[in-house]
Amino acid sequence: MELLINLLINGLATGMLIFLLAAGLTLIFGLMDVLNFAHGGLFAWGAFSGVWFYGLTNSFTLAILGAILTGVVLGFITEKLIIKPVYGNHVQQILITLGFMIVLSEMLKVVFGPNQLAAKTPPLLAGSWEIGDVIIIKYRLFIIIIGFIVFGIFQFILKRTKIGLVVRAGVMNKEMVQALGINIKKVFLYVFMAGAALAALSGVLMAPYSGVIYAEMGMEFAILAFIVVVIGGMGSFPGSLLAAILVGLAGSFMAYYVPALSLAVNMMLMAIVLIFRPQGLFTAKG
Amino acid sequence: MKSAFQVNKILLFIIVAALAVFPFVSDSRTWTILLTQIFIFSILAMSYDILLGYTGIVSFGHAMFFGMGAYATAIMLDRFEPTVGIFVLSIVVGMCIAGIISFLVGLLTLRLKSHFFAMLTMAVSGLFLVLAEKWRTLTFGNDGFTFRAPDFFKDRMMYYLLVLGCLVLVYLFLRRFVDSPLGRVLIAVRENEQRTKSLGFQTLHYKVIASVVAGVIASLAGSLYAVSLRFVNTSVLTMDITLDALLMTIIGGVGTLIGPIIGAGVIELAQHYLSGLAKEHPIFERWIIFFGIVYILAVIFFPRGIVGTVKHLFWKRKNPIKLAIAPKRKGLAK
Repeated sequence: MELLINLLINGLATGMLIFLLAAGLTLIFGLMDVLNFAHGGLFAWGAFSGVWFYGLTNSFTLAILGAILTGVVLGFITEKLIIKPVYGNHVQQILITLGFMIVLSEMLKVVFGPNQLAAKTPPLLAGSWEIGDVIIIKYRLFIIIIGFIVFGIFQFILKRTKIGLVVRAGVMNKEMVQALGINIKKVFLYVFMAGAALAALSGVLMAPYSGVIYAEMGMEFAILAFIVVVIGGMGSFPGSLLAAILVGLAGSFMAYYVPALSLAVNMMLMAIVLIFRPQGLFTAKG
Repeated sequence: MKSAFQVNKILLFIIVAALAVFPFVSDSRTWTILLTQIFIFSILAMSYDILLGYTGIVSFGHAMFFGMGAYATAIMLDRFEPTVGIFVLSIVVGMCIAGIISFLVGLLTLRLKSHFFAMLTMAVSGLFLVLAEKWRTLTFGNDGFTFRAPDFFKDRMMYYLLVLGCLVLVYLFLRRFVDSPLGRVLIAVRENEQRTKSLGFQTLHYKVIASVVAGVIASLAGSLYAVSLRFVNTSVLTMDITLDALLMTIIGGVGTLIGPIIGAGVIELAQHYLSGLAKEHPIFERWIIFFGIVYILAVIFFPRGIVGTVKHLFWKRKNPIKLAIAPKRKGLAK
């Protein structure tokens, strides 16, 4: 039983981190029709800048805020310089965002050095609780809570505010929104910055979870996020949460029971979804 | 037009002849090795051009076919006798594996839109990388293993000539392939897939054929690469290989076949010199940043690449409607 609970918490925590990354991807794709291959780079920048801020200020809250700020700034730059010139051309978008991914991860090595960095868990969140036989690691619980809070906030913004209304309408029909006098380009920029901030948040939360951070982690994690976006349905926000949890749980259970298959299981999930429901489990409409 | 074509052919012949006699006149080991490397990556980049330049699909998983060839050759030369026969057999085995895998992956993923295809190929290739890292009894994981090359290739020069020969053969084969009616359909898919479909072509079949051809040729490049190093590890399956092929194709010129060869030369030479400059200033250790930036600028401002731009300028003056004269499509239509 305690094993099951531990695996469950592990899977949920990983799932939440993937969700934060995938949520930005899926929103950007749904609204702007851009698949951002540089998303993993934003994630890695979030992790490195978070660790740097933490070393500087010794406050995890400030580290998270600093990482989010980095994400927002990088998101602004990416949208203005990289995405804007190639709106509407899919092949160019794919190529250019991948190119930017290279630049981002190499710049990491220039700024922070090419070696792995160790990331400490803040003392408040270190350690674990023991409830009976079950050992719950505090930090994992923290990640899960943050994940649900972020989901709640974004769901609220999307469903209850004017900007959320515009974004949802934009996902359905961009031209119509523009015809109604809304500057959709500006909305694109905000959504992109929000998505980049989520990626950076995911990165900074990931750092103490894995203990070490390195420049290539962006690419590794981005692949999981892509799988999640495919399974959950491009552009669907709740879909990406469910798919991320599914991928996280499948990964943690498989890693324990059939370690050899732990990555293959995600691929299999994706292959099954693609064969039977190529649009993903959830669709963006509605 | 015909004479220009002849001139091109003669020019190519002269270049190939010059490259073939090069190792006899110069005994610089560095250059022989560097040129061998360039030829191998030219083969890889040309195979990538079939996908990106001629069919208009972006694959981020090309490294897996390269890696399959490299591992097939390395493992077979290591386990069996290091003879030329086994070497040839291993190339064939690698090509068959790559062909089967690219067929299956293509069938599953090519019906999807470009975004999904790029993502999925990236994920599948990531899967193969993990497989190679975990299956240590066969691949020795990230540490890799060395093996003995056939005695015949002990001489760097022989190997240089072999790779050059392969390059020329692959170039001629792919040139024939893209100029065939089948290749014309691929170009039509690139230009407008919907319209090609409405003309009665099963575009999925053509895309799968393109992906199999590209995969098989990439596997050949991988086999040659493994023997040139006499060592193989999981780096042959990493994203870096795909990125190299992508950079070479884009900077050289997509959809030209010659472009990727020139791109491979430019990138490999620049890589060689820039990493040499690392002693001067540490920023040159991260030379790939320069490529990243050049590549981004190329995608925005210079999408035709080196060869494409030259050709475009040339054509605009001489023969603006060349693409309109395509061979008649027949035989392959269903």
